Amino acid sequence: MLNITTEKCTGCKICEKVCPFGAIVVIDAIAQVQDNCTLCGACVNSCPVDALSIEWKPVSKEELDTFSGIFIWGECEERDKGIAPKKVVRELLAQGRKLADSLDQTLTVVVLGNDKLQGLETLITYGADRVMRCQHTLLGSFTTDSFTNVISAIISKEKPSIFLFGATPHGRELAPRVAARLHCGLTADCTDLEINEKGELIQTRPAFGGNIMASIISPYTRPQMATVRPNVFSFGDPDNARKGEIVNVNVVLSPAAIKTKVVAIERLRNEKEVSIENSDIIVSAGRGCQKKENLKLIQELADTLGGVMAGSRAIVELDWIPHTKQVGQSGLTVGPQLYMAVGISGAIQHLVGMNSAKTIIAINKDPDAPIFKVADFGIVGNAMEILPILIRELTK
Amino acid sequence: MKILICVKQVPEITDVTINPETGTLMREGVDSILNPFCEYAVEMGLDLKRRYSDIQTVAISMGPPQARTALMRCLEMGIDRAILLADMKFAGADTWATAFTLAETIRAMENDFDLIFVGKQAIDGDTAQVGPELSEILNIPQIMYAVGVDLIDTNKKVWVKREIEAGYEIVEIKLPGLISLSKGPMIRSVSSFQEILDARKKELRVVRASELPIDENELGLKGSLTQVIKIFPPQVKKTGIRIDGSEPQGAAKKLIEFLKERKFV
Amino acid sequence: MHEITSEAVPSVDFKGIRCINNYSEICQDYSPYLCDESKLAHQGAQYLFFPTNEDELSAIFKEMRKKNVTVTLSGARTGLVGGAVPYGGAVVSLERFDEIRGLRYDNQSKEWRVRAQCGVTIRDLNNWAMKKDFPGLFESGSAETKAFLKKYKESDTTYFYPPDPTEMGAALGGTVSTNASGARTYKYGATRNWVRWIRVMVASGEVLEIPRGTYFATPAGEFTIINSAGNKTIVKIPKYAMPHTKNAAGIFSAPNMDLIDLFIGSEGIFGAITEIEVALQKWNNPISIVQFLPSDDTAIDFVIALRKEKSIRPEFIEFYSSHALDLLREKQKEDPKVVGMPSIPDYATSAVFFDLPFDPENKDNDYAKLEKIVSRCGSKLGMSWAGYEQRDLERFRNFRHVLPETVNTIIAERKKKIPELYKLGTDLAVPDHALEEIWGFYTSILERAELEWVAFGHIGNNHIHINIIPRSLKEMKEGLLIYREFAKKAVDLGGTISAEHGIGKIKKEFFSIMFSNKELKEMKAVKNALDPDYMLNPGNVLEIEGT
Repeated sequence: MLNITTEKCTGCKICEKVCPFGAIVVIDAIAQVQDNCTLCGACVNSCPVDALSIEWKPVSKEELDTFSGIFIWGECEERDKGIAPKKVVRELLAQGRKLADSLDQTLTVVVLGNDKLQGLETLITYGADRVMRCQHTLLGSFTTDSFTNVISAIISKEKPSIFLFGATPHGRELAPRVAARLHCGLTADCTDLEINEKGELIQTRPAFGGNIMASIISPYTRPQMATVRPNVFSFGDPDNARKGEIVNVNVVLSPAAIKTKVVAIERLRNEKEVSIENSDIIVSAGRGCQKKENLKLIQELADTLGGVMAGSRAIVELDWIPHTKQVGQSGLTVGPQLYMAVGISGAIQHLVGMNSAKTIIAINKDPDAPIFKVADFGIVGNAMEILPILIRELTK
Repeated sequence: MKILICVKQVPEITDVTINPETGTLMREGVDSILNPFCEYAVEMGLDLKRRYSDIQTVAISMGPPQARTALMRCLEMGIDRAILLADMKFAGADTWATAFTLAETIRAMENDFDLIFVGKQAIDGDTAQVGPELSEILNIPQIMYAVGVDLIDTNKKVWVKREIEAGYEIVEIKLPGLISLSKGPMIRSVSSFQEILDARKKELRVVRASELPIDENELGLKGSLTQVIKIFPPQVKKTGIRIDGSEPQGAAKKLIEFLKERKFV
Repeated sequence: MHEITSEAVPSVDFKGIRCINNYSEICQDYSPYLCDESKLAHQGAQYLFFPTNEDELSAIFKEMRKKNVTVTLSGARTGLVGGAVPYGGAVVSLERFDEIRGLRYDNQSKEWRVRAQCGVTIRDLNNWAMKKDFPGLFESGSAETKAFLKKYKESDTTYFYPPDPTEMGAALGGTVSTNASGARTYKYGATRNWVRWIRVMVASGEVLEIPRGTYFATPAGEFTIINSAGNKTIVKIPKYAMPHTKNAAGIFSAPNMDLIDLFIGSEGIFGAITEIEVALQKWNNPISIVQFLPSDDTAIDFVIALRKEKSIRPEFIEFYSSHALDLLREKQKEDPKVVGMPSIPDYATSAVFFDLPFDPENKDNDYAKLEKIVSRCGSKLGMSWAGYEQRDLERFRNFRHVLPETVNTIIAERKKKIPELYKLGTDLAVPDHALEEIWGFYTSILERAELEWVAFGHIGNNHIHINIIPRSLKEMKEGLLIYREFAKKAVDLGGTISAEHGIGKIKKEFFSIMFSNKELKEMKAVKNALDPDYMLNPGNVLEIEGT
């Protein structure tokens, strides 16, 4: 139920501008809701005088069962002069496909962007039945407000049973906003997704820094929303023969809906540099490297192996490396072919960020360091002595 | 200007272990601390208080009665006063119920706020959801992953430096708004003995569910939209080869052999 | 009573005892057993033994006596005066003596007591006592012990073991042998105060079991030790007065003294202490306070005033001189996380660090008296650091250790260019009334000498460490001369030349400043009575002619 507190309403018409469905209109300086309101909440969020609110009533089981469809947010990034879906979307498609087949529902990817959107056909080859292409100039760069409006509108119209986001930095600021707007349960950072006998989505995720795993359901609301940790799930090869459709969505967006303004950007990484998430080989430094100058060795080794340098939270806090290279529970999750942990003790909050790497090597002075529990090959010794020799031998 | 800082008390997770038989957390003997990211939020609030004039800071926490000690730490650090939402009815809340309860409290008691600071995530839940959910319920803009805040137009606008995947961006919002802090001072601050004594004289108000205009069914476990159905310990990984590195030359050679075997060189 | 009988220990096949019996193997694979924290150079060792119980230890003693080989006892090797460094002969490692043997509540003295073998570290002992979990004790203990354990666990009070030397990895046996001290000695006294019972194996291989309060010297100052065969040995105690300070120099002497005190602090020259019963103390949750002061002199004034104020009972009182804080400031610039505290404020010239019992829940904490003392010394309670949460207490504890560690790092760096260099540290303490005078003496000489120095330490016990950090061999020689002057002054004022570290092999030179030849002879007479073959710990404490 959309409630309008008429005494507060000033007739400013902002709600009219932001509503994606034309479902609220101002008549005689008072807002009035129409029958096609989907309760997407865009107007509530943008009313400057808090005159609007949504009353959520408990939903019956029958009503819940009418929600159908596995939806994924197709998060994009800048690539080759355009914007294209991130790797995590393919990981989500692999999981989504599994869930869709399990429930016999369709798999849709919702992509938001401007006219530079490209590469959407590949989403079908990776398992999507449908791609909803939401194009608008205001979607050219990510803002929480615009993306929340558009996705909430789509969800309230399409009524999917499941909606997945990658637990990327943007995913983690977007998903809870959408969930709160639509009054849905949301589980963050899932590492496993399954359907149970009741057809409910079981969402499993680490908690307490990774010390414990919790399995969670959202029994009362739909869609069941989850953010999924990137670089944990794998995906197979694309099937170029697969058929699906790309649908253009009419996006209604007003600048009035966007409350944030980017004033400046400071890039730490040049365009050529590979992000640690996309690198197959990572050499990672911890506090055991003793001083910032020693990181030269780590970079050298990374270069020699054809990989990139990363680090633990401890050295980010010391300002030895920027946050863009932080691996761990409060940083990025990586799943490279090779992860070399140099002078990293391997506290659980770090391990959860890298233990899906295919091969793990560790060098640490402390034989009791927990990193050795996950290492395929470990050396108990002084990394600062071993690395120069290693680099020398490798460059021969 | 009024800044609200929502904080949480969490167990010191480096000391938390799992009971291998029951798969539940063993929290005995584990200290409870002010969540490190929440402490960053407090530090930022105090930083603004020092840099600009006439700023009132209020710390708010929803938790069991022992969460008082986390709020006491906030007061010792320099926060002006604190509110503890403590009631059995709040227990078992997921992020939605928590955000909702906090929102109603703020609306009822501190509705004239200009800024809300929260920490990036709680180190026990790790969801980072309460901040955005709270912003949505209060209809205010949010900025996540903040590392620096400047007031531009006192009480009207802020510029926030935040972390993005490629580096940093500076974002402007009009107040009121919510900011989630990702980074704080390299070394945790220490209070003086005087500040510790003074904190005990500051207002720490305990609020019960009955004092809030909310239906009981929206609180705690009853008001939660998600439900935990199982807790279990993570999979223990296989152990691999381990060699002694006291002789660096030999160790480096063995490592190279391993890398060759796995086709990395 | 003054007579005690030693018990024979069952014989055991000597060949079955784990032994490394050649020097080159010891050197190659067991080199840590040849040195301790003093870094004193060893003089070789022919044997390295690892006995697992008293029977094996006794067999070793007997066999070495037969072969005329000396025995150096080795615990955790954390000592600073070379006590565990072998001068040839056999090294006997007591690391396998690592069990907790008992726990009981003594109704008469109303205290909990723990019985542990000598190889248990005091860190473990303290952690287990505080966590109320002694590994293996329940399984191995008698029904009575089990009952006590249950009662101990159920009690709400936390207990701890007060002696807190900086190096908590020290073995309990070692701390008893050296009468070790730490910051908390200010309130709780040294190890001696906490030892209630020992088992000590003398050179013959027989064992004396000595509960405190049972065996006392005759008015003439004598004990009689009877061995299992009935042979009597008379031990005559030296006749000197112990200084009125905490003291780890020389063997204990007092009229009608308790026999147990002869062995405590004797640095292993009379026997190997194999098992000890210590008392535990109730733990008060503290608040750690670092009070900043405008000068070294006002810091001294503050300490004196704090001590005088009976209503304030600090757990310990520690000092940081202005040079010490400056050194820490430099360290902070270089590596802030190692120091672990925010930048030391500019107004902080000197600092006094103390712990007070503190209840965070108590709204009526009244510190008016403390405030007065602080303001009289030119400072304010607002010019301090304080913390009481576990992790804050830990970083305050860490802050205490960063200074000596930083000094060590600087020396290690300088040693690279000048290998003969080493840190000069004093271990002098004086009685309370002499604090101002000795500080004035230290500073006037040091200022004149233009050397690099820091002062810090257990000022509550008037035990200030002066660390001269020499930049050249010339400065080091100068420093050594200055230390001799300091030692003489400390003794003149009624103090001691070793408050904590003991004499070992390194401090014997200063020992003779404190004790006359006659008194040294009296100590040697005790050694002669208890270890006539001069087998045990050669080189420790006493110069023995012909060894």
